[in-house]
Amino acid sequence: MQTPFITLRGIHKEYPTPAGRFFALEAVDLELAAGELVAVVGRSGSGKSTLLNLLGGIDRPTAGEVLVGGEAVHALSESELSRWRGRNVGIVFQFFQLLPSLTAVENVMLPMDFAGRWPAGERRERATRRLAELGIAGQADKLPATLSGGQQQRVAVARALANDPAIVLADEPTGNLDSRSARELLALLGEVVREGRTVVVATHDRAALAHASRTVSLADGRIGEAA
Amino acid sequence: MSPRWRKVLRDVSLHKGRTLLAILALATGLTGTGALLDTWSLVRRATAGTYLASLPVSATLRVERVDEAMLGEIRASPRVAAAHAQRVASATLVAETGETPALLFAPDTFERTDMARFSLTAGRWPRDGEVALEGSSLELSGASVGEHIRVRAGSGEPAALAVTGVAHDVSVAPGWMDHVVYGFVTAATLRRLGAGAQEIQFRVRDAAPTRENVRAVAEEVRAIAERHGARVLSVSVPVPNEHVHAAQMDSLLLTQGAFALLALAACALLVVNLMAALLAGQSREIAVMKAVGASPRQLLAMYLAYAAALGLAATAVAMPLGAAIARPYAALKGQMLNFPVEGFAIPAWSFALQAIAGALVPVIAAAFTVRRACRAGVAQSLREGAGGGERLVTRRIAIPGVARPLMLSLNNAFRNRGRLALTLATLAAGGAVFVAAHNLRASVVESVDAMFIGFRQDFLLRVAEPQPAQRLESLVRAAEGVALAEAWATASAQAPDPGGAPGDHFTVLGVPVPSTLMSPAVLAGRWLVPGDERALVVTRPLAASDTRFQPGREITLAIGGNEAPWKVVGTIEGLGQPIAYASRDALGRARGDERATLVMAAAELPDRAHPLPVAMRARASLEEGGVRVATSALALEMRRALEDHLLLVVQFLGALGWVMLAVGGMGLASTLGLAVLERTREIGVMRAIGAPHGTIAGMLHAESLAIALMAWAIALAASVPASVALGKAFGAVMFPVPMHLAPDLSGSLQWLAAVVAISVAACAGPSLRALRIPAVRALSD
Repeated sequence: MQTPFITLRGIHKEYPTPAGRFFALEAVDLELAAGELVAVVGRSGSGKSTLLNLLGGIDRPTAGEVLVGGEAVHALSESELSRWRGRNVGIVFQFFQLLPSLTAVENVMLPMDFAGRWPAGERRERATRRLAELGIAGQADKLPATLSGGQQQRVAVARALANDPAIVLADEPTGNLDSRSARELLALLGEVVREGRTVVVATHDRAALAHASRTVSLADGRIGEAA
Repeated sequence: MSPRWRKVLRDVSLHKGRTLLAILALATGLTGTGALLDTWSLVRRATAGTYLASLPVSATLRVERVDEAMLGEIRASPRVAAAHAQRVASATLVAETGETPALLFAPDTFERTDMARFSLTAGRWPRDGEVALEGSSLELSGASVGEHIRVRAGSGEPAALAVTGVAHDVSVAPGWMDHVVYGFVTAATLRRLGAGAQEIQFRVRDAAPTRENVRAVAEEVRAIAERHGARVLSVSVPVPNEHVHAAQMDSLLLTQGAFALLALAACALLVVNLMAALLAGQSREIAVMKAVGASPRQLLAMYLAYAAALGLAATAVAMPLGAAIARPYAALKGQMLNFPVEGFAIPAWSFALQAIAGALVPVIAAAFTVRRACRAGVAQSLREGAGGGERLVTRRIAIPGVARPLMLSLNNAFRNRGRLALTLATLAAGGAVFVAAHNLRASVVESVDAMFIGFRQDFLLRVAEPQPAQRLESLVRAAEGVALAEAWATASAQAPDPGGAPGDHFTVLGVPVPSTLMSPAVLAGRWLVPGDERALVVTRPLAASDTRFQPGREITLAIGGNEAPWKVVGTIEGLGQPIAYASRDALGRARGDERATLVMAAAELPDRAHPLPVAMRARASLEEGGVRVATSALALEMRRALEDHLLLVVQFLGALGWVMLAVGGMGLASTLGLAVLERTREIGVMRAIGAPHGTIAGMLHAESLAIALMAWAIALAASVPASVALGKAFGAVMFPVPMHLAPDLSGSLQWLAAVVAISVAACAGPSLRALRIPAVRALSD
């Protein structure tokens, strides 16, 4: 294996619940190389989403370390984490999570706006170009509610790539798509990997596994096997 | 425009209802505070511009006589800026419909320029046999320029005076409010009427004197008058440069200002609720924005800018409304102070202050809620979704025998305790003001009742010359309808302090002991008893003005030039005047004159509600007996004048209570709207398992009613200390009238009816929204 780009070391994650503590991840150690497409599989509640959240810096481990490109993500403050996320991570959600009051192109411009990436005058052009690369330039000025599920997920991918992140995380990206749109999305993620980015996909979709260079299996918060 | 600000703008247009509600709520509070601020600025400018520009009198000395040499010496005094002589007579305006107290002024000149300037607003100044009426009492007189009024001052038949003009004197309280007709006449007219006391008025040179400074100058003037052989009967030093109704105005504006701020605070609470609703609806969007790189500070700026925009929009609505309310209101206050508020241009600083408050209040109110929402964990927010997730229920209320849907409603009301507290605070604050205003009104009426309890007289007659008491009593008792009559003596007294200062003048009333007409409630010590010699019972205002007037203490009084020790034996409420009561016989012996000048009388029972004819017959009986009557007054009129002053302030508070109820209603509506939003899934489940429309709407109505009834109960409890505090502040500032707390049941019941109506109205929108939620959509997210 190449030099790890992402390292999870001794990760524990637990949540307090009225019924007591819930252990989402226990003793997870994982190393991922740059340019890998990693599929994280497991049943519902196995800890897939939690793992992705920790990788993307949208949640913090209860114990352990998350190192990305040598940066200790787990030790960043909230505002540092926001900046880091904006520049280094793109996220694709199962339910797309586009902001309903913004058009497709504005949704793509939003991460650039928050990160202050690219001069303000260039953002629209860049966003439009990204949409064109994904084949939906014609939908740029439409609101998400007027787009199909597949089109919305492409906009979500364009948004995830807006700031040229090194890591793209996708949580059940095909879970809400028909089979054709799902196939197209997986092909897209393959292209993203070819651009040199690390893609981690949490999925139940067997088709996704075919595209993955590596599979990480989770069961009850523990890594069972890696292929 | 960057996408994030475009999002803020589109959110405003997407949530029009909520945005409008927030703007409406803020505009309501800002209109109230803005109107009061504008009013205050207009009245303040008018006070400074009109009242002070009239060069008000610093002090008035009532003297036996005055001459030019005496006036010349007073004017030459280095600390005196101006001095004038005038005659003043208490009179009665006689009309077919009844009699009205009047006060006639005969200044040495109508064209004063250096002190107490008054002006002519219509017609011309009077010559002998004519009168110019003060504008504020024109309506009360029932006359207009060119007509005649009939005035009795002193003896005999009323004299007809032609009304030649309308004058304006900013130094007198409005005639309509004090129930007194003010008129300007010549000294010759007063002599013809056979009445009038001589006064010297002066103004000190110091532009901002203290009352002590003026008193010192008054002593110099007194010494000059006495050197010229004129006895000084009384010295009156009002609060310098302060209008006679200034304290009332301050009280009114301060109380209303406090309540307006309370209303604004209630509006701010509503903004907290509305922002919470907005943020709960956007919690997933906030999480997504954070996931794609938004920092908490960027999100905070977005939502606080939204709050500020709401405030500025509300200010844009509220500023012209507040100004529109302020102009007539300031004019009304001007009427209450008897000077016109000229020029209604509201100062720019008032608008600037309103704009700043308008922008800041919602930002401050929303800051905590927004900060918390922007700091919420991304992962958790993404899991919970729109509405901020359904709150985990770990405890619930269970009342045996209560239907399950109703039980569910009650539990729902308590699910988000923070929000419930906020809603209750908003609604209960409105209710507390509403009920407190009712209680205050009842307290005012009861306090005035209490003041008059010990006074059984229905009318009083003041005779022009002192008469033997028995003669006065027998003449009045001879009149048909008179049940009781007592002649009282009056004297002006001073309590010289040990340092040598003569002390303020106050009136001592000599009452027969025991009295059939007066048996007041005693606050401390006791009332007068037979055998009391040089014993005093003082009113609370007199006791408050000089700490030596405490029961058990001995004090030296100067009465009619004789100094003698008196013993204070008790304190009573009195009618708000600094007065001392003594035995008529003892007072007569102390002043060397046992005659009386006042007759107090009570009508027989059937006539007590309308005692005017009896008073007129008593007056006629005195005059037939050769006793000239100077003035007469009905206790009912005195009471009405007192109540009118007080209740005017209370009515404004009542209006503010309604405003706050409206704001509270909006708060309840937003809370219920939020409850529906948060429980979309739960409502969907209920619909999926067969709950009919009526059940879902009924549950929301029950929840709304439960909150409203809690607010009702809290408001009732909160209104007690609020009423007590209001009563104390009111009594202390408005008049020396201590307030009797009088809970007003009708206010509580009106508040109950209002709160039930509010609960129904507030629930209408959220119910409709709940009924439109399709089960499948509710469960899909």
